[in-house]
Amino acid sequence: MSSISIRRALVAVLLSANLVTAHAQPNASDASALSALPIAVSIAAPVMIISASAALTVVAIQASATGSVWVLERASDGARVTLTLSGQVVEGVSVGVGTAVTVTAITTGWVLSTASQAIALIPNEIGAALLYNERITR
Amino acid sequence: MNATAIRTLVLGACMMLACAAAQAGRSCEQKHPTVNGVQRSLALAQETAARLDQTGAQVVAIARVGQDLSPYHLHYSHMGFAYRDGKTWRVVHKLNQCGAARADLYRQGLGEFFMDDPFDYEAGFVVLTPEVQARLLPALRDNTRVARLNTTAYNMVAYPWSVMYQQSNQWALETLAMTQEPAAITRERAQAWLKLHGYEPTTLKISAFKRLGARMTAANIAFDDHPNAKRFTDRIETVTVDSVFAWLTNSGLGGAVQAVR
Repeated sequence: MSSISIRRALVAVLLSANLVTAHAQPNASDASALSALPIAVSIAAPVMIISASAALTVVAIQASATGSVWVLERASDGARVTLTLSGQVVEGVSVGVGTAVTVTAITTGWVLSTASQAIALIPNEIGAALLYNERITR
Repeated sequence: MNATAIRTLVLGACMMLACAAAQAGRSCEQKHPTVNGVQRSLALAQETAARLDQTGAQVVAIARVGQDLSPYHLHYSHMGFAYRDGKTWRVVHKLNQCGAARADLYRQGLGEFFMDDPFDYEAGFVVLTPEVQARLLPALRDNTRVARLNTTAYNMVAYPWSVMYQQSNQWALETLAMTQEPAAITRERAQAWLKLHGYEPTTLKISAFKRLGARMTAANIAFDDHPNAKRFTDRIETVTVDSVFAWLTNSGLGGAVQAVR
């Protein structure tokens, strides 16, 4: 193999490698990551505690087979709320005891976040009517 | 640069490529939902539910813009059927998770349907005629019937006239055919019915170079179900939302496409 042909081979291989990231295929039927945002299925506390812009802190967290239970404490007066969440914590997000959580009110409920990244959703009645998840085939 | 160094580089590059190929099928770009994204997705779901309520329909064909398909002159990327369930709407659709080579059917709320990291916050729907709705609705409520023509082997660009693979929009289209024609109890028969009723898939222009890269790096893309004559002239036919919507409207099986933003 001559030096030129080796160089050409190198260019071809690198171009192919580049396809991995640079050339998106026509995703004619898009895939899904099935957004893993945990959704609150029950809340034990006066809903007033979960008010917009409330600063909460995670004081306890317990994982279960179907989701997790979080206990959050409001910084201003120490009031606590227990959330039972379906789904696992969003991958790449570290939620543990001491994590500061912000509450944002939206029309369909409340979004819990850390650094603007959503970590859980607490639907109100409007939101609950829009949410349902059932796997039909396995 | 001497020949040995170049050879080493070629080998290194080949190893990089091999690594990428080896990870195919399990790589899944981690998507971090943002507060704004969740808010917009649910707002779109809420607005879509209100618009669907106004139609008085029981069943519609519904789509989202999950990907930017404008380079292929396409708008919607993924479809399913939404049906009324009491006061709410449910969507039955087929999902391929994380680039895997298989896909499954799900029944979800409009919230989940639009929360799946969309490219654009827009819904599109076609109200089906009352006769088409009446035949489709019982199947959408029946987990066995709705899965009858489902093929687990997933190919994002599956050939519309083959039963080797099945992509999401293809499942929706074939299931529609199955419910409209009692004899269409197999995928082959459903496809024959679709041909007979004038459905035409989209032809994508995909070069051999892109096909090679796609096949080597993703478990959910294959071209071996496409006829050689078409494949080797860069013509890849597949079922797209835009082609299904156009056919529904033109054939009189449904009304005009309605967009919700």
